Amino acid sequence: MEAALLDELGGADTPERAEAWRYSRNALRALAQMSFVAADPDLALAPEVCAQFAWPHTQGRRLVFINGRLSGAHSDLRDEGIVVAADAGTIHIVDAARPLHLVHIGVPGANAARWQTTLDLQVSSARASLIEQHIGVPGGDLLGVFDLHIQVAERAALDWVVLSELGEQAALLRRVKLGMAGQSQVRRSDALFGGRLQRLELGVELAGAQARLESRGTFVLRGREHAEVRLDVRHQARECACDVLWRGVADQRARGIFHGGITVEPGADGSDARLSSKNVLLSALAEIDTQPVLEIHADEVQAGHGATVGQIDERALFYLRSRGIPLEQARRMLVAAFCAQALGAIGDDGLRERIDALAQARLPSPDAAQ
Amino acid sequence: MLKIENLHVRVAGKEILKGLSLDVQAGQVHAIMGPNGAGKSTLGNVLAGREGYEVTAGSVSYDGQDLLALEPEQRAAAGVFLAFQYPVEIPGVNNTYFLRTAFNAQRKARGEPELDSMQFLKRVREKLAVLHLKDELLHRAVNEGFSGGEKKRNEIFQLALLEPRLAILDETDSGLDIDALKMVADGVNAMRDPARAFIVVTHYQRLLDYIVPDVVHVLADGRIVESGDASLAHKLEEHGYAWVAQRRVAGAA
Repeated sequence: MEAALLDELGGADTPERAEAWRYSRNALRALAQMSFVAADPDLALAPEVCAQFAWPHTQGRRLVFINGRLSGAHSDLRDEGIVVAADAGTIHIVDAARPLHLVHIGVPGANAARWQTTLDLQVSSARASLIEQHIGVPGGDLLGVFDLHIQVAERAALDWVVLSELGEQAALLRRVKLGMAGQSQVRRSDALFGGRLQRLELGVELAGAQARLESRGTFVLRGREHAEVRLDVRHQARECACDVLWRGVADQRARGIFHGGITVEPGADGSDARLSSKNVLLSALAEIDTQPVLEIHADEVQAGHGATVGQIDERALFYLRSRGIPLEQARRMLVAAFCAQALGAIGDDGLRERIDALAQARLPSPDAAQ
Repeated sequence: MLKIENLHVRVAGKEILKGLSLDVQAGQVHAIMGPNGAGKSTLGNVLAGREGYEVTAGSVSYDGQDLLALEPEQRAAAGVFLAFQYPVEIPGVNNTYFLRTAFNAQRKARGEPELDSMQFLKRVREKLAVLHLKDELLHRAVNEGFSGGEKKRNEIFQLALLEPRLAILDETDSGLDIDALKMVADGVNAMRDPARAFIVVTHYQRLLDYIVPDVVHVLADGRIVESGDASLAHKLEEHGYAWVAQRRVAGAA
């Protein structure tokens, strides 16, 4: 089991795979030492867990998966613009003015448990909207592996907000493959909180001319949490654009990794590629690594990238305090403002405020700070 | 109100203030003038509680309490305000939200009731009108993209809103054209009050034509070397700081 897990998820059999797991191999190895049983999809959800996703404004358009399996009891789908295959393995957003709310919940049992699932999603609406939510319920060791394949049709547009909140014993590996046809547009906003290991691999193929991707994201980590985000964006056709902006915050002994890979393939002339990754460490023991990797094999490409790791701006902190704002409150204001640079694109005010509040709530009190 | 005695301050291992003493009474405006590098900004920063300023000797008493023992936010709640020479840009923090948070944090620290947003906005509009500032300033992030003049006026606006008892203006006149200078001076003059004191730190005498001080001090090499009434500022303007240095040498001889 141990060797199999390592091999399956993060094997060092090729130099590429070894490099891709360089920063998270130890966290994965710790997981591989556990004996996992298959997670039980029939476990009941506590009311407080239900409250985390039972948002009034997504009522009637919600699909809930528990430990990888669709839950009939918690799902609620009445919107005609969304077509779901019988096994729920394939979802087609045809025409939906309101968002589809996809919820994946990992619920721990008595033993360390593991779930795995694959979902196919097709988007052919010009105004599709998706809220993808991952919840790792605290209280036991849990590993989830989630593969998502999304195909966005020509001229279709998808507004996509992804929120993941994991308990400290939860691990979640997400592998997302996004294919984009000509003139399609995707705006994805990610927020990652918590987890002993969470890893998001986002592979994007800008396959048709003038496809446009906007990726915004933030992670806020504390304790011994560990999160890795790996973007692999490929410009494969003419005049495609990608605009990537991520903000990371790590406190205490947390560890964050951001790898932003953008490749402009031969023939993808007239591409526009932007990447910004800024990160803040709130403690001397926290660590964040950021690697922007731009490879350009085409002509007439506009590209720019910037990546930084630093501390909270002491001048700004003193300015706020000199006006009477207590230290911790000032720190929270500055961190929230920093994350807001990545979350400002979320058009749904209620959702954005919810994520803002989550980010702020995850900053420790002064006595817990190291 | 404020009594500074024999203050010695070191910054990055270098002694900047070397035995500064100053006595400020409520209702007074004190001007502190001096050449570059004399320690003018250090004084403001030490009084506001900025980190990195090591007090090696001396004391600062404010209303009978040890000011240096307080955190910056406690000093603010006690009524100390520093108008920054270089106000800080804080992207992502809305100006109104910032002002209301600061205002209510101070009230809370003093055990006074906090104002709700309607009450607060009413107060803000009154102060904006006095300073001839545009509403638009409120909707932007703190100082972000403000011109030099706007930043300084925003400092004075905060001063008007927070109504401190001791206001320190650190080279608020630098980088201002004459119209902005007058506006800043008008704002300060409107705030003069028997219960409130000002320390106006400046390099040039120009600002003091509009904010007429009760006492003028010359700060040179980390000490107050000369004090007098408003006419001292004019003498300085006429003779330059070298004149003070010569007088000191003559006095020492």
